[in-house]
This record gives sequence, C-alpha cells and structure tokens, in this order.
Amino acid sequence: MTSFWPIYKRELFAFFVTPLAWVLIVVFLLTQGMHFFLLVDEFARSGAEAAGDETPLSAFFGNTVLLYMVLFALVPPMTMRLFAEERRSGTIETLMTAPVSSAAVVLAKYLAVLTTYAAMWLPTAMYLVILRRADPEGQLDWNAAASAYLGVFLVGAGYLAVGLCASALTRSQFLAMLFTALVLLSLFILGVGEFVAREGTTLHDVCAHVSVWAHMNDFASGIVDSRHLVFYATMIALPLFIATRAVDAWRWE
Amino acid sequence: MIRVSHLSKRYGAQLAVDDVSFEVGKGEVLGFLGPNGAGKSTTLRILAGFLAPTSGTVAIDGHDVATDSIEARRRIGYMPEAVPLYPEMRVVEYLRFRAELKGVSRATRGSRIDDAMSQAAVLDVAHKRIEHLSKGYRQRVGLADAIVARPPIIILDEPTAGLDPNQIREVRQLVRDLSREHTVVLSTHILSEVEACATRVLLIHRGKIVAEGPTGEIQAMRGGQAVDFTLRGDAKGALSVLADVEGVAAVAALEGGDEAGVSGVRVTLGDAATAATLEVGEARGRTVERCTAALVAAGFGVREARRSGGSLEEVFASLTKDDPSGEPSAGADAGAGAGAGAGAGAGAGVVRRGR
Repeated sequence: MTSFWPIYKRELFAFFVTPLAWVLIVVFLLTQGMHFFLLVDEFARSGAEAAGDETPLSAFFGNTVLLYMVLFALVPPMTMRLFAEERRSGTIETLMTAPVSSAAVVLAKYLAVLTTYAAMWLPTAMYLVILRRADPEGQLDWNAAASAYLGVFLVGAGYLAVGLCASALTRSQFLAMLFTALVLLSLFILGVGEFVAREGTTLHDVCAHVSVWAHMNDFASGIVDSRHLVFYATMIALPLFIATRAVDAWRWE
Repeated sequence: MIRVSHLSKRYGAQLAVDDVSFEVGKGEVLGFLGPNGAGKSTTLRILAGFLAPTSGTVAIDGHDVATDSIEARRRIGYMPEAVPLYPEMRVVEYLRFRAELKGVSRATRGSRIDDAMSQAAVLDVAHKRIEHLSKGYRQRVGLADAIVARPPIIILDEPTAGLDPNQIREVRQLVRDLSREHTVVLSTHILSEVEACATRVLLIHRGKIVAEGPTGEIQAMRGGQAVDFTLRGDAKGALSVLADVEGVAAVAALEGGDEAGVSGVRVTLGDAATAATLEVGEARGRTVERCTAALVAAGFGVREARRSGGSLEEVFASLTKDDPSGEPSAGADAGAGAGAGAGAGAGAGVVRRGR
C-alpha cells in the first residue's frame, strides 16, 4: 500500500491542473449558491409559520431535485478520465508495471476524486454561517446540518464509485460518462417509483430502499438511518470491487 | 535473472507468442530482434508483468510474474514502446512520482532522481512540462524512469524508435553504460542496433524464436552473401573475369546504370551456406579483394563495391528456410562446419531453433 500516496497525490494534481476541474467547480458553486439564495428568499418572504417544520436547511438538502441534477452533471465528468484516459494514452502500462496492487490503484484514484468532491462542498459551509447570522436566536439545527452533509457525502461517494467503475470498464471517456449518467439516472428514477408504486407492494419497498431522494430527506432532517448507511456502503464497495477485478482482468486481454 | 519457459500468448485466434523459452543471466544485454509484429512487445510486456501469459511461466530473479507479481515488478525498470508519460507533469515531478511509486525511500529519492536525470541527459529540461518536450527528450525521460529505482533488470521496448542519429548514439551509449550494473533486455527491429548494444541476440519471428546466439555470430551471418560492383566498362566482360575468381559462386549483371559505359555486377560469394562465423567473414573479405584486383587488372574502372544482402529480412529468410521435415536443425549446418567446430551444438554458436 506504499504506492497509495503517490497515486493519490498525482490524481489530485491531474484533476486540478485541467480547466475542466475549475469549470465544474465554478458551475457547481454557482448553482448551489443560486439555489440557496432562492430558498432563503422564499422562506424570508413567506415567514416561519407558512413553512411548517421545513427549514431552509432541510429544504436545501432534502425536498429538492436540484441537488441530484447537479450531481448528475458533476459526477460523470469527474470520474470519466480516471482509468479511461490512462488506457487511451497508454500510461496505464507504466502505472501497472510499477510494483502496485490493483486494489491500491483503485482506492487511490477513488479517494482522490472523493477528496475533490468533498472540497467542492466545503465552501457551502458558508451557508450555515449565513443562516446562523441571520437567525442569532439559534434556530439552526447543527445535528441536522451534520447529518445533511453526511448524506451529501454518502450520495456523492456512491455516485463516484459507480463513475470510477464505468471508467475502468471502457477505454472511451465518453462511454464512461454516458454509462455513469445512465446508471445514476436509472437509480434515481427507480427511487421515484416509491411515489408511483402502491404502498405495501415489493416494488414500493425496493424503490423506497434505493430512493436517493427519500434518503436525503431523512438525512436533511437529522435522521441517520442504518439502512441508508448499508445501502451506501454497498453502493461504494460493489463498484470498487468490480473495478479492481476489471483492472486485474486487463492483464488477460 | 530471467527465466522464461514455454511462454505463449494468444489474442483471440491469433497466437502472438508461441512456446518461447529463454534465459537471461546477470549482466547480459539481450537484444530481442524481429520484424514488426513478431511478438517482441508482447513478450516484453509479459516479462514486465503488464500482460499475463496464456500459458508458460516467467520468473524474475525467482519470482513468478503471475503469482508473485509485485515482487517481480519491484526488480524491473520497464520502458514501453510508445513511452507513455503524463503530459501535464514536469519532468522532475514525474520522476518524483515514479520513484515514490517504485518505493524509493524518501532519503535517497532526491539523489536517485538527479542521478537518473543526468544519466539519461534530461537535466536541462527537468522543470519543463512533458507535453512541451521533443520526441527525443520524452524517450530519455522514459529511460530515466526505467532506471530511477535502480532495478537489477531493465527492459526497454524499442528504445531508439523515432530518434535522430545523434540521439540513437547517445541511447546506445547509455545502454552500454547501464549494462555494467544492470541486466538489460531490449527489443528492436534494426539489426545494427543489437550489434551496437547487445551481448546476446534472440531472433523472433511470428511469435517463435528462430535463432539465438552471441552478437558476433549474428553479425557474421549478416555479412551478406553478395557484393555489388559498379564499374566502368562492359558488363559482359566483367562477368567473365569475375566468374574465374576464387571464392565466387555466381555472377549476374545488375539492371540500370544511369551513365553510359557504367554497369553494375552482382557477385554472389561462395560458401554462403556455411556463412555464420567470423572466419568465414574474413574469407569473404579476401574474395572481395581478389575480385577488385582481377577487375582492375582486366582494365575495368571500379567505382564502388558495396555489400548487398544481410538485411534483417534476408537473415530471417536464411534462418527460416529450414528443411520442411520440421526436424530441429540445431546449429550444425549454420556454422559448425566452418571453424566453430562442435561449439555450435554446445551453445557457443548461433543456434537455430526448429519449428
């Protein structure tokens, strides 16, 4: 595992040196900022009574599709190059003939892109500071904020794992991007099925279990459900495992 | 250091490497010689642990590349054919990354990188981005990467491809320098390349080893079986003069001749079948001297005497025109008779591998 750090560092470097990275970050922060502004504006207009038990925080992270829309646009381009680019340019040959294990390579690349993702969310912590200042009485629920960020981190971690796996399965960055977006959207749409299927049916239960929307609603209101944790642990571990096997399999091509 | 036994690699229906076995000892420089598509790169990729063999085994210093891959890879510095590099990195950054990846300790990393850069002559571009480097510099950055961790074995796939003659000379010199401390395996499709660097040569053709032997022996085979003369005078007369010279097997007129009164003649030297030793090479030289003297004595103006043949293709042709029975014709007919004695059978001469 000594090979983990150099790959991790290089991967971070490789991401931030591209203009694509900065475009993604800027677009991401602009969207989130606008989203936050609109929500707070709406709450300020309608007053606390009309909102019920909704808070700007739970609305920002929970009852909205905007969050996922941004992730659908963000994750595929972040992960598409991870392996596909190395295989296209041939650098995979120098990488894999160094004394490194496939697992270390997959993990280093994954954690690098996850670090980037976390760093992109970091500036949004400013929103909490703004809410706190606007409401000095202390209405802000810090626990809910923490669990909301945990939710955002887990959703992203799961999505990025799927993206990395797609990048390991194809030589083409474009296909990796397409495949990732397709899987993530399908999963999301399956989750929406929760509201379509009749309650009590198996389909409803399955849909509810995979519904990122429902998960985020829980996280945003401060509920950390162990079933959700298991779901995301699976959604991270399974694609990473497949990716590791795919990396091993290249030797047999 | 390297022990390859019965190695095969199949891509779908195509057999890229077919039952290849060889060994490389410590301090040897093994030249892997063959035309494009012969299976050189595939073999080297398997040695470097990038590809897994379909069957057969490769042991690097006792570590099997399939089952003990990381230990095997730790002992190898490998430069792939296309020299893939990360274009966005600076040379020194790249080498730092590679050194760390290969487990060079923090304490020695700096000096190892400096040594590698000065050996590969890339110090002057240390802080340039790789994307801005010329082909020659990229190649040398790849070399610096291969040697930066000071592995006992260095594998270079076509190290001089795409370089200009000066750079080729430098790379060959570097390979010779490396051979003092490392075991080197390099591949090329240029015959003169192995002559310049390698101590032993392995000829590979269509995935099979067709011959192997010390470089000197291969060199002698390359000597060529024919000499082309350009001369002033009548070709017919020259042919009759040359036909009587000792050591000449056949003569023929060459086509062309731009100038009036100038003609070309090809002389095929005798004993071509037993051509694989240095002694024969010397005898051939004498024959050329006699031919020239005879032509001059007969009043012809000799303008040029040029060795023809001996290209890689022709060496291959002579090596692969085995008897159709498929019997392995180990060495004996290739040179043992002409002075090398029984040495060929004992491994000193060029050993032809049966098909």
